[in-house]
Amino acid sequence: MIGKLAIAAVLALLSAAAQAQSGKLTLYTSQPDRIAAETVAAFNKQHPGVTVETFRSGTTEVMNKLAAEFLAGDPKPDVLFIADAVTMESLKADDRLLADPEADVTAFPPAAYDREKTYFGSKLITTGIVYNTAAPRPQSWLDLLAPAAKGQVVLPSPLYSGAAVIHMAAVSAAPMLGTDYYAKLAENRAIAVQGNGAVVTQVAGGQRMYGVLVEFMALNARAKGSPVDFVFPKEGVSAVTEPVAILKTAKNPEAAKAFVAFILSKPGQELAAAQGFLPARTDVAPPPGFPKPAELTILPLDIAAATRDTQALKERFSQLFGG
Amino acid sequence: MLRRLGATASEQALCLGLIVFVGAISAAPLARLLLEGIAPGGRLDLGVLASVLGAPRTWLAAERTLATVLVSTAIATVLGGAFALLVGATDLRGKSALAFIFLLPLMIPSQVTAIAWINLMGPASPLLKTLGLAPAPGTPHPLYGFAGISAVMGLEHAPLVFLAFRAGLKTLPGEVIEAAELQGASRFRIIGTIVLPMTLPALAAGAALAFVSALGNFGTPALLGIPAGYSVLTVLIYQQLAGFGPNAIPETAVLSLLLGLLALVGIAAERWLSRRHDVRADQLHARRLISLGHVAPFFEASAWGLLALIVAVPLAALVAAALVKAYGLPLTSDTLTLDNLSYVLTEHAATARAAANSLLLAATTAVIVAGISALLGYLVVWRDNAISRGLAIAAELPYALPGMVLALATILVFLQPLPLVHVSLYGTLGIILAAYLARFLVLALKTTVAGYLQIDNALEEAAALEGAGLWRRIASVILPLAAPAVAAGAVLVFLVALNELTVSALLWSAGHETLGVVVFSLEQAGDSTLAATLSVLVAAATVALMALATVAARRLPQGVLPWQG
Repeated sequence: MIGKLAIAAVLALLSAAAQAQSGKLTLYTSQPDRIAAETVAAFNKQHPGVTVETFRSGTTEVMNKLAAEFLAGDPKPDVLFIADAVTMESLKADDRLLADPEADVTAFPPAAYDREKTYFGSKLITTGIVYNTAAPRPQSWLDLLAPAAKGQVVLPSPLYSGAAVIHMAAVSAAPMLGTDYYAKLAENRAIAVQGNGAVVTQVAGGQRMYGVLVEFMALNARAKGSPVDFVFPKEGVSAVTEPVAILKTAKNPEAAKAFVAFILSKPGQELAAAQGFLPARTDVAPPPGFPKPAELTILPLDIAAATRDTQALKERFSQLFGG
Repeated sequence: MLRRLGATASEQALCLGLIVFVGAISAAPLARLLLEGIAPGGRLDLGVLASVLGAPRTWLAAERTLATVLVSTAIATVLGGAFALLVGATDLRGKSALAFIFLLPLMIPSQVTAIAWINLMGPASPLLKTLGLAPAPGTPHPLYGFAGISAVMGLEHAPLVFLAFRAGLKTLPGEVIEAAELQGASRFRIIGTIVLPMTLPALAAGAALAFVSALGNFGTPALLGIPAGYSVLTVLIYQQLAGFGPNAIPETAVLSLLLGLLALVGIAAERWLSRRHDVRADQLHARRLISLGHVAPFFEASAWGLLALIVAVPLAALVAAALVKAYGLPLTSDTLTLDNLSYVLTEHAATARAAANSLLLAATTAVIVAGISALLGYLVVWRDNAISRGLAIAAELPYALPGMVLALATILVFLQPLPLVHVSLYGTLGIILAAYLARFLVLALKTTVAGYLQIDNALEEAAALEGAGLWRRIASVILPLAAPAVAAGAVLVFLVALNELTVSALLWSAGHETLGVVVFSLEQAGDSTLAATLSVLVAAATVALMALATVAARRLPQGVLPWQG
């Protein structure tokens, strides 16, 4: 009897500790450094007891570091906060993700999250065209293949960026662009750099006039005074949802759940809007300057096909752009 | 008789310990890499080898590697050779200062040098924009691609040629020059007909060193090549591993072997040339310097002007880029800010973490390799046998071969959990430490051996006759005498390890970044102002440490710091 009481007391203590949400939380993310730091700072306002250790890189590199950790037998992160659902699907297929049935998704459109609640899209990040305002405004993805754009296009590499993988998959599947669109880009002497950040740097710095880029980086650079603007091309844009997920091997699952809850909460989504993102929650207003989500043409993406073809796409890209 | 047997037993223990250490960190990984290339998964299978060697990408990268390496070697040879002639063979004033500054591009890490040049020359250059000289928007960066990679690597490796050639010039017999001068030969004639022919092997050995270093260089070709879609072999290995993860290990192993093979050609050439140039200086005759006379001011002005152009101006551009508010703006009183500096110093978590990691790694590596080289140096100098020679070569290879080759070899051995303890070193600083120990052992060993050679063996023999065992002799006689050289080796290793990028670029994991990796990643991610800011800090720290070592060097044996005559 006393033993049972003691166990109950210990369990009560443990759950109390869990509610206080303290300890270390390891976060692997593809958010840019400063944005990730803001997100963590806002989370810490609600949960000051949690020490968040952040590691950031492009989604592909984050995943490859994680793959090596799986091989080595000691995956470090509690939470993954990366670009795209396709990557999450492959982790889910490998049984790496922890479902979080308590996560509150009432304000989210059903397409935003996994039905089994292993990952949750937090926003909509679209990829379109950034251009230096010294160049004429492009209208179409095909403008990047024109002689005027020869040697003037820079794009992020799927070997580094998750959004770039999705973009390549969506563009290759779009009938008016097609599988040889990337080959034509390479023929027009387009250049691949690692991430989206390097694309905006080159276009803002005037080293290339056009870039394939996620919209928030272009709009943020424009707001800061850089000579760039952004186009949602008429054929449509590709989109990722920047999902957040908890690993089954998480060492601090309670803090991880608190982090996920924060990202999905209204304040968390308002922070995303303030950072220049289109929030996934329907009850949070998009940042100024964004078209309404309903007005956006989004290139369709078959998640199952994309999951299957990721390696082949990356290999093709590597052969075309030499990286 | 008993005493001799005892000495042999402890010597055997020493040998065995060193064989295990050097074998584990150096020989085993390199052998494992070789095996991976021809027998991935443990069975002879040339499929991967054939597919990699059949891919056009491989040959494009190999061709680009050779093109940039050969042109950069030519630049390094001309520049380093000319400077060595001025500093080593003439009576030019201010030689120590010239040498110190000329060697900066060797000691400042290549990623920092590359970022400095990127910030100097492009359409977004804050320095050129301020002066109104920046290229028009839409102009590609002039340094992105073949020309930039070759030129910047040439500057970075010129100091290697300088060091090798200057060492050769020191052995030049003074009386030959004296005789020529007595016969009225002009200084250019003396240089052309006496100095150069006699020291040509030393110059060529320096060129071979520059060749091997350029093959292994990663920071410069990555930062100047990736934005132009121009990948050399080291960059291709990195991109494949970053893009495909552990799946790419078999392919990258083959690429590493190809890179290693090219390097071996250079290493063999350097060996052969160094052996040909083994002229012992006549110590009785003071070295005879060629008097520059009335043309001295011209050469002085040219030397300092050139140094300003290749060292001071790029560093100034780096500082300007670190102080500007947003990338692409000119530096004016409106755009000047210290925000970048305060962000890097106080808020950017990865910087603080990387600084701590790099300091810890560099200090640990320096202490361990200094200790090992004190013991290994003893064997190499005074027990010249097959075992000590084999150990010396096994210690040399991980440094002579490109860093990418060693890094991949280290991943192959240490990614899987270790036997017995069932813990993998991957995902810890341990795997970087293992690679650093292998890579930098020979740096400490060379300084230590140089120190041992200056010690009189008689003391140790006397101690042996008195009945002191090996360990006792090492502790009480050998180590105290060799201590200054060992310490100098540790200082050198610390400096080089602190700035390392190539090995850690493949081995870092989340939370275990090095300073080199953070600088590189910031620039790659497009955070150019932050990359420039951190680069300024790294360059400043490097110069400060070099200056500190110079002051401390008054207590060290002659010639252990490369920038001192």
